[in-house]
Amino acid sequence: MKQGWFGQVVRDRVLVFVAIIAGWQAASLVAGSYWVASPWSTLLGFVDVLANGTLASQASYTLQATLIGIVLGGAPGIAVPLLLQHWPRVQAVLEPYLVAGYGVPKVAIAPLFIVVFGIGIESKIAVVASAVFFIVLFSTRAGIEAAQRGLVDMARIAGADGGQIAWHVALPGALPYVLSGFRVAVPYAISSAVITELISSNRGLGFLVQSSATDFDTRGVFVALLAITLISLAANVCVALIERWLLAWRPALPDATKISSIG
Amino acid sequence: MSQDLLEVKSLGRAFQTRDATPSLRWVIEDMSFSVAEGEFVTIIGPSGSGKSTLLNLLSQIDLPSAGEIWVAGERVSEASLKKARPGLDCRIGYVTQDDNLLPWRNLLDNVVFPLKVQGRLDAQGMERARALLDAVGLLGFEKYYPHELSGGMRKRASIIRTLVYDPPIILMDEPFGALDAQTRLHLQSDLLKLWTVKRKTILFVTHDIIEAIGLADRVLVLSRAPTHIASEHVVDLPRPRMLDTLLTQPAFTALHERIRGQVQ
Repeated sequence: MKQGWFGQVVRDRVLVFVAIIAGWQAASLVAGSYWVASPWSTLLGFVDVLANGTLASQASYTLQATLIGIVLGGAPGIAVPLLLQHWPRVQAVLEPYLVAGYGVPKVAIAPLFIVVFGIGIESKIAVVASAVFFIVLFSTRAGIEAAQRGLVDMARIAGADGGQIAWHVALPGALPYVLSGFRVAVPYAISSAVITELISSNRGLGFLVQSSATDFDTRGVFVALLAITLISLAANVCVALIERWLLAWRPALPDATKISSIG
Repeated sequence: MSQDLLEVKSLGRAFQTRDATPSLRWVIEDMSFSVAEGEFVTIIGPSGSGKSTLLNLLSQIDLPSAGEIWVAGERVSEASLKKARPGLDCRIGYVTQDDNLLPWRNLLDNVVFPLKVQGRLDAQGMERARALLDAVGLLGFEKYYPHELSGGMRKRASIIRTLVYDPPIILMDEPFGALDAQTRLHLQSDLLKLWTVKRKTILFVTHDIIEAIGLADRVLVLSRAPTHIASEHVVDLPRPRMLDTLLTQPAFTALHERIRGQVQ
């Protein structure tokens, strides 16, 4: 029965996909392919840039900025709340600044980072890292706060020291929260990198969008958008797989959640 | 002097009230009792009588506001102490109301968790864990995660997790409270069987009079808060006991009547 339900979802997804393509094709016919490249010509263009290596080189630049930014922002995003829980006073002092940092739209900081770090990859990494850091920080902290007092007491009575409690109890307990933070942060990281490239860059997928648009090459814009979309979907699947692997101990999630995480 | 393993002397625990003018509310006041080595003592009292508070003090995850706790002739806890020593260097085990199994460790890894953090997880410890799993009918479920086990199985696991590292004193806080009658009876029998073999010193808190009498050498009845020991009853029933036939014995019913009058 579950399989049947899943089968229906897949079937309906194909229908929605067809509808989107049809709508796109219709828009292309109405507006003219000069303004809206047709799905077919976009696909041809995509194969083109894939074959001549342009896509690989631009996408790898964007991905590099994204990945480095995720690591540089994510690692302290996990570490800072783990450390701060031992200094409640410091945490109380920093609180409004962390909330403010979380609230500032990172796109608005991007021009500043470009001025400071230049138009190279450093400015993209900085924007991505600043976005990822705050998202991961707040979700990790939610995980620490949700830690079950009973488990910690049990471990202390059983003879565990502070480090063992952090490693065996606090961290695994916070992990689902940390991972759901990354699930939000990763697509955000990709779009942060792309947007910063849009503002100023000479490489990357954002640059591809920008330069194609400047050349009135709408097909190029669509090709780049398609690539960004595919990368986001792939990244989402990667995070979901990592989550499934690290959280294998969890009760099976309801089907609906499972599907949305993979698809 | 005495060969009491655990001694509680004029123990008190007070908490701040949340009134406009904060004052101290004593949950436990002037409580004294002792438990001999190898003795099975049950503690019974009305709800809200500070049973869990008492066990938290004894297990040293909380410090008293007055009085002293002695273990094996050594004063281990008193009001002036700054820092608690949870579990007293693994000499006091504590089976809590919730099973507190780590959801991300499978059954076997949960049972050997104390040995692992104590750095004593060797072949011998593993063997003891398997023997205990066998004794409570959990062999074959080692690889299961807690959420895949029934409430009764999780409870058994949490009990043998404490037995596996052999603490001389074991505290139990209504461990069978949330289980159905049949599972309860099973686990009570299992516990008695394990105790007969190991002869641990057990302090077992419950609100069930039948359970309190059925398991114990001695029953301590708590008063209403501020709690102290209201009365003490030696259970003079032969061992080994068959828990399901106990109810029909005259000695049991007489004791049951006496205690019931005091708990209410």
